[in-house]
Amino acid sequence: MSEIATSRTDLPPALPHRPLRDVMTGPVASIGITLIIVIVAGLTAVGPRFLSASNVTIVGQFVAIPMLVGACAGFALLAGVVDLSIGSMVGVSAAIFGALLLGGWDLAPAAAIALAACLAFGGINAIAIVGFGADPIAATLGMLTGLRGATYVIVEANGQSGSLFAFNDTLFAFTNALVWSLPLIFLLVLVVTAIAAIVVTRTRVGRHLRAVGGDPLAASRAGISVAGMRTAALLISAFGAGLGGILFVGQLGSVSRNMGFGLEFQVYAALMIGGYSILRGGVGNPVGGALGFLVIAGAANILDLRAISPYYVNIIVGLLLLAAVLLDRFRGGDSYE
Amino acid sequence: MAYQVIGRSVATSRPGARVRLDGWGTAVVVALAWLLLVVASALNRSDFISHQTVLAVTFTMSIVGVLAVGQALVGISGGFLDLSQPTSLILTALVAARLLAVDINVAVVVVITVAVGAAWGLLNALIIVYGKLNPVIVTLATNFVGLAALFLLFQIAEAPINSGFRDFGRSSTLGLPNIWWPMVALVLIVGFFLPRTRYGRHAIAVGGSRFAAQARGISLRQTRFAIFTAAGACAGMAGLLFAASSGPFTPSSGTVYLLPVIAATILAGVSLAGGRGNIWLILLSVGFLSTVPTSLVFFGLSSDWQAIFQGFILIVAVAIDGYRERNVAR
Amino acid sequence: MSAKEKSMFKSGGSAPLRGLGMIAVSALVLVASHTAGEAQDKKFKLGMAVGGNPCCEWMKAQGDVARTLAEQRGWDYIELSNNDDAATALKNAGIFIQEGVDAVIQFNGQPSANPALAQRFGSANIPVVTYDIAQPGFYFVGIDNLAAGHAGGEALGNIIKEKWNCEPDLVISAEGAAAGIVNTWRTGGMRDGLKKVCPDIPEEKWVSFESQGQATAGLPAARDLLAAHPEAKKMAVVGLNDGGVLAAINAAEQLGRADEIIGWGQDGAFITGDNVNPHLAGSVFYFLEGYAVYALRDVIDPIAAGNPPPVKDDAGDPASRVEPCPVSAEQAAKVPDMPERVKLLLAAPPGTTEYELFCPNK
Repeated sequence: MSEIATSRTDLPPALPHRPLRDVMTGPVASIGITLIIVIVAGLTAVGPRFLSASNVTIVGQFVAIPMLVGACAGFALLAGVVDLSIGSMVGVSAAIFGALLLGGWDLAPAAAIALAACLAFGGINAIAIVGFGADPIAATLGMLTGLRGATYVIVEANGQSGSLFAFNDTLFAFTNALVWSLPLIFLLVLVVTAIAAIVVTRTRVGRHLRAVGGDPLAASRAGISVAGMRTAALLISAFGAGLGGILFVGQLGSVSRNMGFGLEFQVYAALMIGGYSILRGGVGNPVGGALGFLVIAGAANILDLRAISPYYVNIIVGLLLLAAVLLDRFRGGDSYE
Repeated sequence: MAYQVIGRSVATSRPGARVRLDGWGTAVVVALAWLLLVVASALNRSDFISHQTVLAVTFTMSIVGVLAVGQALVGISGGFLDLSQPTSLILTALVAARLLAVDINVAVVVVITVAVGAAWGLLNALIIVYGKLNPVIVTLATNFVGLAALFLLFQIAEAPINSGFRDFGRSSTLGLPNIWWPMVALVLIVGFFLPRTRYGRHAIAVGGSRFAAQARGISLRQTRFAIFTAAGACAGMAGLLFAASSGPFTPSSGTVYLLPVIAATILAGVSLAGGRGNIWLILLSVGFLSTVPTSLVFFGLSSDWQAIFQGFILIVAVAIDGYRERNVAR
Repeated sequence: MSAKEKSMFKSGGSAPLRGLGMIAVSALVLVASHTAGEAQDKKFKLGMAVGGNPCCEWMKAQGDVARTLAEQRGWDYIELSNNDDAATALKNAGIFIQEGVDAVIQFNGQPSANPALAQRFGSANIPVVTYDIAQPGFYFVGIDNLAAGHAGGEALGNIIKEKWNCEPDLVISAEGAAAGIVNTWRTGGMRDGLKKVCPDIPEEKWVSFESQGQATAGLPAARDLLAAHPEAKKMAVVGLNDGGVLAAINAAEQLGRADEIIGWGQDGAFITGDNVNPHLAGSVFYFLEGYAVYALRDVIDPIAAGNPPPVKDDAGDPASRVEPCPVSAEQAAKVPDMPERVKLLLAAPPGTTEYELFCPNK
């Protein structure tokens, strides 16, 4: 598994072009099957309105922004670094963006500043992890704590009593827009996911990224800059979080003190169900990650619509997580001994 | 982490020596950082050095320290992370509170509580071993389910306020909290025995390289069971100390411990991928991390700003430690 | 295709195991969603979004009481949890609208989303009752938190006037910033009430810590605060709720300085039962779990009868006012604890409020 590579030819080979077969037997298949089961269960238990435009819109609007954050955080996982600070980064990005909007700034410059700030924080992560060799979990945990404080400070300073109301008509309209009765942001995030999947599986950059995560020594001997790829991955993760924060402000029209906190758990649970590993780089597919989000959101939606007491939802989601990874294991996925 | 795989060698025949020598660099870094913090705080306000401060810090150290021992055991043995500690902490605390409320003898309560913790660890181990699933995912899921189940079981619980148990929890001996001494004892004992008992050595070997360990005839299964059960027992002990020293608690009262415990474990030099780590260093890392919030209060920072500095200090500490790790000749 | 590539496509695990895995997942999801779908009929449908913050006993109870009262009236009832998250509150709004509820009751602990929620519900023409946190357009049912804060602060002020001649060493505020405006009203209100009775306490004696509204979560921060004021002996404690105040009291006990600490809480969570801390001098009952009685009596029942009342959305002029009930610890000894109160409330004649049943000094 971790052979020492001696030549360039030892990179993971490009998959032959058999898209249908890939889908049926590849790592995405397990989570795809799980999603199909969830949909069938939904149709059975709730009825045809489970797949109605209205219901898909409800689920889609709720899951779109976390999915976007997850798609970008997945790049870091592929590179072998787990970025635990994404939730707090969403929060601080929303806080900065909201505060600027409140201060009269226009949409584009305010968004640019918020994104730049997140890239800076991602850069600090990269310096600590890649530059200094800090443990990624501990370092991003520190960033999580620090950014949490930063969000508190910004919201307290600019808002009232823990809420910062920053309403932007354009952004609100955008995040709530419907296209063919489905949420625009949801469709856009699906497109982003597809692009990410193509980058990861079909491009040279994607192969290099997976190599860096799967076997860094082999990758570096093959001439790939491990440091460069990891830094880029952390920056992408930060960018995704920043964008997520901005979109949240659009959707909710406000920023709360606690915005984004705990999001990292939601995102990584979904990504892990979808086939990523937070401890091993190189495994995972953005499509699988997106399906992971849909499985959890779909199951939760069934429980909501069946008026099952909300206190049982978490139990079922937790059991679902176990069942989904068990299913993946039965299908030949990673087994832990 | 993958980049550590290359550096970690197959378990040597003297794992005890390897584990002990491994820790000194990190120990020095953390001890220096702690010293720096104390000196800076004392220069800022001379009444920082006082018995009250020591009490505040050591009370905070106690529960985090016990949980960190459990987390370190899991990490050293290659189990990565036990994310179910928030549940096991509260589950065991609930058991203790309920038993004491019906006047069960304290000694019996202690035994039962630790046993419940061990049982939770065993449950995790069963799923991990027989499902052959990654411990991070398993403990994430069991925590999810466990918290939700706890929430259906109770909303508020508290050990009887006038009991000897609670008296123990809020009082001190020899100037230090009663709940601090068991934590120190646990760290010293586990740290001493880990490289000196059969299961301990097996755990380190498995963490170092499970293939090599298997080749030596070590049963991965037994080792995993032993480690997770022991980690659960640690959580049980933490639950006792928690119930003794806390007021009314809710099912989610344990979640606030997860991040500090992980930070303390990593800062103690425990490699989450396994095979490396010195339990005794937990005293240093937990001590340092528990002193940070207190000194920030002495600096007059509001709680919002405290979080910013705490995060910053953690990043700097692990960056320095990582740099030192990487540049030490392997 | 090379052998290596062939092996990459071979799926591992035997077919029976695969089948078993899939059946396991299906069974799980189906078990969770077991009865046949129901027809949408003409019964009045009430939706309730509970707060979902695990801090407090009454959050779950609010839903339980509402459900029982709705069932007694033969209504359909949907309960969702806001999970203390603004995005979830918005999602729940979408579900309520899709499921065609006739009215919604919500406790939204993250009120930053309220304007967006108001817009959604407004376009769908669904009347909304909001507990304790005002929003233009929503019927306000609840306490005037500011007045409750004042009442508690004054009560504590009277005690420290008598005991310490209005000269405490410290007045500690156990804040809970996550509660937003409710924290500002209650904790700030308590400070104002205390100042009314003892106006001359110097600025530097007013200190605060972040208690997160819980006795356990706030304990380390309280210890640090006390360590930073090592000379203080006579300490008065106000706060967001009983839990926050207890954090300060417990910290003082641990640091060996509880001899002269006196606290007054809010919400009455820990002033009943056998485990009342002797340093908690009193609290203010809101009887939050029983809010549904007020909501249904004054807003939802009229709506269901086709007679919607005028929308009163301000805490000062509410659609239904819940009276706060300040109590000293001795008076609270007669009040049963929350689970017991819920049972008695549901057994009482319809329309009876917990204030009428339990407040010892009406």
